[in-house]
Amino acid sequence: MSWLRYLLIAVLILVPVWMGSHFVVHHDSDPSNPFLPLFEHLMPATLVTDPHPEPGETPQPMLAITVPGPAAFDAVPEQPGTQFVLTNLQLFQIAAALLVIVCFSGVPSYLRTGRGDRLTRLFAGFALWLRDDVIYPAMGAKVGKKFLPYFLALFFFILFMNLLGLVPGGATATASVFVTAGLALLTLLMMVFGGMIAQGPFTYWKTLVPHVPIAIWPIMFVVELVGIFVKPFALMIRLFANMTGGHMVVLSFMGLLFLVANLAGTAWSWASSPVLVGFAVFIMIIEAFVALLQAYVFTMLSVLFIQASVHPEH
Amino acid sequence: MIQETVDNAMGIAKMGAGLGAGLAVIGAGLGIGKIGGSSADGIARQPEAAAEIRGASIIFAALIEGVALFAIVIALLIIVLPGKL
Repeated sequence: MSWLRYLLIAVLILVPVWMGSHFVVHHDSDPSNPFLPLFEHLMPATLVTDPHPEPGETPQPMLAITVPGPAAFDAVPEQPGTQFVLTNLQLFQIAAALLVIVCFSGVPSYLRTGRGDRLTRLFAGFALWLRDDVIYPAMGAKVGKKFLPYFLALFFFILFMNLLGLVPGGATATASVFVTAGLALLTLLMMVFGGMIAQGPFTYWKTLVPHVPIAIWPIMFVVELVGIFVKPFALMIRLFANMTGGHMVVLSFMGLLFLVANLAGTAWSWASSPVLVGFAVFIMIIEAFVALLQAYVFTMLSVLFIQASVHPEH
Repeated sequence: MIQETVDNAMGIAKMGAGLGAGLAVIGAGLGIGKIGGSSADGIARQPEAAAEIRGASIIFAALIEGVALFAIVIALLIIVLPGKL
């Protein structure tokens, strides 16, 4: 059954890449500013039914559902109500979630019987490293066991989304602040409700502030209350800015090629291309490392934050 | 006249964004450099604790980098949302 797993992985990478590059409206090149059309690729692109519309016809989104919500989230201002549309980022999120399921489908039976193919052994080792070297030392085996499914899902979901962004034609779902905000919101809920369940709803709010003189207690309570929200907010900004920043540097090197072509002519652009493409490849190598590192950092900091709210310092 | 003033203001705003990005990099560089130096010291003194020191220093570096990225994102907002801020 090993070949079926590899086939499914190939399909789950190629289908979103094909859909995400075929069913989106293509950007026109702008000779005066070659950087802007490249930077447009950092934004989520709405999937449309017809990517090459007739002149005077606006492309229709592939899926538009009216949902209750603030106008800031409205993706189609022409239609009444807040519209939820399918973008290429959601394709890659779904693909990442399915890839986690496919890659881990053999892991339970491998851990039980010790038989598994190479892919299964790789991911089983990865998951065991995360459990034994990251989560259990920080949280302890008893509490860690309860939170383990959340952290494993979080780590591998972020990791696959980051890595899918490095595939040619792929889009990084974690380079959207909305996706990372959703992930950080999960950690916030785990912090608050995990703490309230572990310590009791009133004890949690009472032990939020460590022992301080009664006069500065109200100030400390406000500080700690703000701290609860700042921690996931920092997680959100960190993942989003790391992913966006790397892509922006690569796209800037590509934009420099077009800038040189506009300013000095095509020959100079060809002449400078080995240097600029070399720098872009170098940044891509760093990005591959950052993709792994940021998934680890997001998970590790979630572990520390949740641990701190489940077991406060006395 | 008004257009000229607006253009000048935009130029100053872009300069501010660039300065802000540079200052954030100085701060993050100092912080991460200190962590890197200290962790190298620690590993040299106590090589058997290398794995723990490395893990902890990655966490501290990530925390500092997060603060620097706040500054970078604000610098980015100055460029991206010129009329709205």
